[in-house]
Amino acid sequence: MNEHAVPGPARTPLSVLANPAASLAEVIAAVEATDATVPATSAHIGISAGATVDLLGLYLRRHALVVGVRIEVSQGNFDDPLGDADRFAAQGVDHLLLVPCLDTLAPAFEANAAVLSEAELNEHEAQLRGRWRLALEKAATFRAVFLCGLHRISTPVAGGDRLDQVIDRFNAALHEEAAAFANVRWIDMGGLVASVGRRAAFDLRFHLRNSAPYTPALLDEWARQITAVSRSFGARFHKALVLDCDNTLWGGVVGEDLASGVKLSPHDYPGNVFFRAQAEFQALQRQGVLLCLCSKNDPEEVDAMLAQHPHMLLREADIIVKQVNWSDKVGNLRRIAETLNIGLDSLVFLDDSAFECEAVRSQLPEVTVFQVPAKLPDYLGVIAAIKDLFLAGGALTDGAEKTAQYRQRAEAMAEQRTFERQEDYLASLGLKVTLVRDDAARTPRISELSQKSNQFNLTTLRYAPGEIEQLIADPDAAVYSLDVADKFGSAGLTGVVVVRFAGEVAMIESLFMSCRVLGRGAEFSIWPRIFADAAAHGCSRVQAAYRPTAKNAQAADFYDRLGLPLAEAADGARRYEARIAEVTPPQAPWIEVLCD
Amino acid sequence: MIDEAVLKQVMATVLGVPLAAITPESSQDTLKSWDSLKHMNLVLALEQTFGVEIPDEDAAEITSYALIKVVLDELTGP
Repeated sequence: MNEHAVPGPARTPLSVLANPAASLAEVIAAVEATDATVPATSAHIGISAGATVDLLGLYLRRHALVVGVRIEVSQGNFDDPLGDADRFAAQGVDHLLLVPCLDTLAPAFEANAAVLSEAELNEHEAQLRGRWRLALEKAATFRAVFLCGLHRISTPVAGGDRLDQVIDRFNAALHEEAAAFANVRWIDMGGLVASVGRRAAFDLRFHLRNSAPYTPALLDEWARQITAVSRSFGARFHKALVLDCDNTLWGGVVGEDLASGVKLSPHDYPGNVFFRAQAEFQALQRQGVLLCLCSKNDPEEVDAMLAQHPHMLLREADIIVKQVNWSDKVGNLRRIAETLNIGLDSLVFLDDSAFECEAVRSQLPEVTVFQVPAKLPDYLGVIAAIKDLFLAGGALTDGAEKTAQYRQRAEAMAEQRTFERQEDYLASLGLKVTLVRDDAARTPRISELSQKSNQFNLTTLRYAPGEIEQLIADPDAAVYSLDVADKFGSAGLTGVVVVRFAGEVAMIESLFMSCRVLGRGAEFSIWPRIFADAAAHGCSRVQAAYRPTAKNAQAADFYDRLGLPLAEAADGARRYEARIAEVTPPQAPWIEVLCD
Repeated sequence: MIDEAVLKQVMATVLGVPLAAITPESSQDTLKSWDSLKHMNLVLALEQTFGVEIPDEDAAEITSYALIKVVLDELTGP
């Protein structure tokens, strides 16, 4: 054996994909090799651009694979958003990328912008609005649409020029058109070019010869941003950030340096790094991210930091779950997920210890892990990446109140223990369920809940906002949403039922609820109204189904518990059918049901 | 002189053909998948792999294995 042949770390295709320095040829080979190992395709992306962006498809597949998702990419025709939208819809595309380009407005538009009259500019703007409004209308049923802003390719003039103003104006117009569609996300191309660096962003050789202005570096970063904005093409929905304490929330070890010795001063390095970090975490919490602590420490010492340290920004009330003890972090992370009733893949874990990070990576691969870098100034970059995971694509709906809601749930659990009988407890909660039918104003939240409900979701159909709008408008369908409130507060819109009426049959197409309101009878309380509506529509029979996924086992027997007779069961799927008049849902007398 | 094994590997990967399909006689005429899009990708990939910048006038012209080798040898030569 050759003693000099030290085997290096294995270069798996996945490690190549995750390496920002990998060359184009390496990325192509690694994407092809990795694609074959991921069984199911999660999303189908259509790219409709006024420029040649062939390699964007490759880089989208790359970044999807890095987060464990396989996607299919279809390229549209050159500068044909309307035709592309039709063709893509027929091909089953669910995510659409729209890339308007200045060059397609008129030849050498960038050079001409300075001398266009106001009337000509108005004409261009009207054309732009009309064309892209049509494209967005056609795309309203796609799960997500990414509309890319216009940007300049020509070198900017110091201090700005008329072209900058024209681009700002056109982008404002596009923005305005996009605002009418709940499924559209804006991609800031100017910001993208700036983040890559103008010189590194464009390749003028291919720009002029092939209408392919972008370098691989720009296309790669573009794809990364789209992957983030799409929340991994709908595959990931991060909800909670789990933080270590020592050398993560403050510099030093509180058990050794004592509260007075840890580094957290806003005015001195390195305390100011941790102070900024806490400010970022606090801002995330205010935007709906659930903050948890997972730290090997004496709980009293961490509690004292939270309660008393003058420079701590994070306080007791900001933290939803604390696992501060000397047990292993893998177990603690599991307990955090259980307490919050969310999946491990909704957790993001941040720790300074390479050992802890590796333990979590290897034993809980579902958890997204970040390590506080040894070079502290790099810490802020790591936090930026974490923010991206939670916030890309818009802040979480209903977010600011979410910690309070989960806290209510935790407090309600504590109260539960003091009651002898479950029903006495439920009666004491003062539960109110508000059932609302076909309210278009609730479309975004209904769609969002359909995207992220995994556990109590009977058929796991995901609805784009446009699909919900269509169902609401359809006289042969009904979209119910329910709010659950108790004496501790309102949990907001936390459940949805979609029913389709066909002749004498009312088909329950979807039923999904947020797990944080389950177990108190709300899921049973709504059916008298729904069945009454179905009967009023002329239906005498009801059909329902359960389709198994990796995550919804807890809902498998829900319709049995509702009292529907099983008609057929195969491969884990269950189908139910009954005469409406013969169904008697379990009573939940402790709940007051309010209908609109 | 460039490493021709590396050149063949890059060409096969970018053009999506088996390694054995790349020979000194390969050209845009002999390989069906070598269209103008793939050609652009090939130029970009060669630049990255060999650490060179292929001048504009050559980029469009190097449409055969032999021409690519000539240009790369020149650019990487002493």
